[in-house]
Amino acid sequence: MPTEQFGYEMSLREVLPSFGVDLVDIQGMSCCGEPLKSVNQMLTLHLSARNIALCEKEGLDIFVPCPMCHLALSEAKSILASSKELLSRVNEKLEVEGLSFRGTSKIYHTVDLLHDVIGVEAIKARMMRPLKGLELATHYGCHLIRPSLLGRPVDPENPQMMEDIIKALGGRSEHYPEKLDCCGGPLLPNHPDTAVTKTGEKLKAIQEHGFDGMVLACPWCHKMFDGKQRKGGEVVGAKLDLPVVYLTQLIGLSIGLEPSKLGLDLNQSPVDKLMAKMGAPK
Amino acid sequence: MSVTDLTSMAEAQKQDRLEIDQRLQKLRLEASERCYQCGKCTSGCEAHKLLELEPHRIVALLKGGLISEMTASDLIWTCVSCFKCMERCPQKVAPVNILFALKNLSVMNGKDVPGNYTAMLQSAMSMGLIQDLQEVVDRAGAVRTRDSLGLPPVSKPVDMEKFATAIMGTAVEKV
Repeated sequence: MPTEQFGYEMSLREVLPSFGVDLVDIQGMSCCGEPLKSVNQMLTLHLSARNIALCEKEGLDIFVPCPMCHLALSEAKSILASSKELLSRVNEKLEVEGLSFRGTSKIYHTVDLLHDVIGVEAIKARMMRPLKGLELATHYGCHLIRPSLLGRPVDPENPQMMEDIIKALGGRSEHYPEKLDCCGGPLLPNHPDTAVTKTGEKLKAIQEHGFDGMVLACPWCHKMFDGKQRKGGEVVGAKLDLPVVYLTQLIGLSIGLEPSKLGLDLNQSPVDKLMAKMGAPK
Repeated sequence: MSVTDLTSMAEAQKQDRLEIDQRLQKLRLEASERCYQCGKCTSGCEAHKLLELEPHRIVALLKGGLISEMTASDLIWTCVSCFKCMERCPQKVAPVNILFALKNLSVMNGKDVPGNYTAMLQSAMSMGLIQDLQEVVDRAGAVRTRDSLGLPPVSKPVDMEKFATAIMGTAVEKV
């Protein structure tokens, strides 16, 4: 995410501190390893435990804006809490870098941080530009909602946290049958054509339902639905023209932050349409 | 230090092989005791329609012990890891985890890693990230960088040698 999804990061760094969240950059972090779990699950466990250990060294809780990383770190915590053998193996390796895993830090994602910690009322209280009845389709990202066995922050079959925020800001967000469908992103490494087909199919359905836009909180899903929207449209034979924004970009617009500071110039989908409907400056 | 060292694992990674064998054995036992082939996993599978993955069949094949047949097949690489099968299984079987274990075993047995995984792995080993910092293009077509957008430098491992040593464990000593 930090190597390309700059719009998400910009909007996070603008919106969260404005609600009193103190973000601290930790040096030395690595990939969480989740995209490599198919290749070697032990590598994923090591990398995730390592990132947790880096945060624990500073005595901080962990904010993980990417659902995939959030799952990897949550799974590492769960595995290492249940197996002393793996814990000692991982810690033996971490010791090479002067680190050790304890499993004490809490892990938050954007959606639960906004909904549960900052709170819907606090967000609503800052509203300057209401969403004026805009009808927005939400997309959470598979790894944020499943598997519930690992304790995911959002309900696996009927997630409503983003809906709560959208409604509080004056928008509408009805259920749609394809809501839980995958973006196709995890297939990019080895089945890129199928990946964009899934992207196109879901966007086409959302557009046909008549939504004004799509709101999400996952850098992989955004890469697909925003970045590969044109390609997805070509593959499924539809003219796709759907604004796709990060939840933090939407909130930022609604509380009156400047679009360029929210990275909205970087969205490839026609977000101007959405901003015009909200009465936001260009 | 190359990708092969990590993926083929050689002798030095006996521990990893043992771990994955244990993992598969446990999954096989779970599948045998619990799965009654209702097919709910396949009915919701994100890779079923386009790529013909049938998780309930994967579970059945595991029950029958056809592990090497599955690790030799490209089909195991079609899973999108959406976790719907695991979430919805009435018997708490997790086809997605069976598939992860099978893919791990296939790589460990020296089968080629498909698609772009090798590049991601190489990048993770050499800089700690699955891809290097990208330049992006904004909606008006202008090239933008992290720097030009006012974002701080990307956090990544500082001492790469130690980082790689830790990842490779004993394997690195052999190289």
